[in-house]
Amino acid sequence: MASSDKTTNTDIPKKDVFALHFLQSLSNLKAQNPLDSPDKANVCVKKIKLAAYVSMARSAGGTSRLWSRALLRRAAKGNNKIPRRKKKVTWHRKRRSNRRAPVVEEAAERLRNLVPGGGAMETSKLMEETAHYIKCLSMQVKVMQCIVNGLSTK
Amino acid sequence: MDPPLVNDSSFSAANPSSYTLSEIWPFPVNDAVRSGLRLAVDSGRVFTRSELVEHSGNKDVVSTAEESTVTDLTAGWGRRKTRDLNSEDDSSKMVSSSSSGNELKESGDKKRKICGSESGNGDGSMRPEGETSSGGGSKANEQKNKPEPQKDYIHVRARRGQATDRHSLAERARREKISEKMTALQDIIPGCNKIIGKALVLDEIINYIQSLQRQVEFLSMKLEVVNSSASTGPSIGVYPSGDLGSLPIDVHRTIYEQQEANETRVSQPDWLHMQVDGNFNRTT
Repeated sequence: MASSDKTTNTDIPKKDVFALHFLQSLSNLKAQNPLDSPDKANVCVKKIKLAAYVSMARSAGGTSRLWSRALLRRAAKGNNKIPRRKKKVTWHRKRRSNRRAPVVEEAAERLRNLVPGGGAMETSKLMEETAHYIKCLSMQVKVMQCIVNGLSTK
Repeated sequence: MDPPLVNDSSFSAANPSSYTLSEIWPFPVNDAVRSGLRLAVDSGRVFTRSELVEHSGNKDVVSTAEESTVTDLTAGWGRRKTRDLNSEDDSSKMVSSSSSGNELKESGDKKRKICGSESGNGDGSMRPEGETSSGGGSKANEQKNKPEPQKDYIHVRARRGQATDRHSLAERARREKISEKMTALQDIIPGCNKIIGKALVLDEIINYIQSLQRQVEFLSMKLEVVNSSASTGPSIGVYPSGDLGSLPIDVHRTIYEQQEANETRVSQPDWLHMQVDGNFNRTT
């Protein structure tokens, strides 16, 4: 990415930064395969989704947040399943020995699967990261809707 | 036996101005009782009698200043100790015995200070259920136990045993932290304030995240469709790949205007609708 205006630490995710990153990566995708055949639609959807998540992570402060760091690392690796599984299992076992507050821990396990990089987080940290992640996600959804509306009306 | 009597009369005389002096005496006297000082025992008997009278008069004053009685008592002991020293130095007969008694008092006071602080910590770091019970219990016990402070001491000690258990303390702190973060989470998610119960709240949070992620997927699908269909259109394909400065300004502006207009529109029913939509589109 050519843009260097990464906001290092933002409590409130920036819409503009995300939109710029996302449009840029979309145009990059477009430039990479200008004539994509319809059988590649699934791949293209995945790429767009990945671009959306990566630009969200970038706009949310890059590596200052745990979840954005995990997202970026996962996106850089390309393969998204295997390393995360390993980490999750370690924390999972550690936490399973904790018999107190089983309700919260059980729900936190499910939450760990949803939040990127959540497998390595402690529960309170997980909650904190989840809050930020939710904020960023809702911002992302809004911006993406706007982009879709803006493009489809043309 | 003279100095206690003198002290008693002086206390009753000084009672309206410095009512707290009567509260000092039961504790050190009781320490002295434990250590077996006879003089102190006798004075203790005298004072327990006088106390009962004075406490009935003092209760309203104490109850007005009730809120942090524990800290007041612990803070007041230091001052009162010095006063006691002065008063007992004046009565020259008791000097030797009372000095030993004062040492005992100091140790006893230190003990109680530790107890008070620890019980305070325990109260602060307890989870809500324990907090209500222990807080109410401590207040009630303090008001109830003033005539007989030994029970208060025992009670504090029992609680202290619970509070100083490191694992439970750490666990309590951790749980408090988690619940604090969870309330912060609850404020973010729309319509989650009314839900009671951690499990339900967490379920709601998970559902919300899942719906948002599904929405992102659906929107990326839509974008892909738009992008591929609008390959002839000028909108995205025109952008030079790496350069932000050459973004067409009108597209930029229109996007943001729509974004601002849409922000009010996007609310909870909307994302629910979108979620259903995304599911439908994915299954087909």
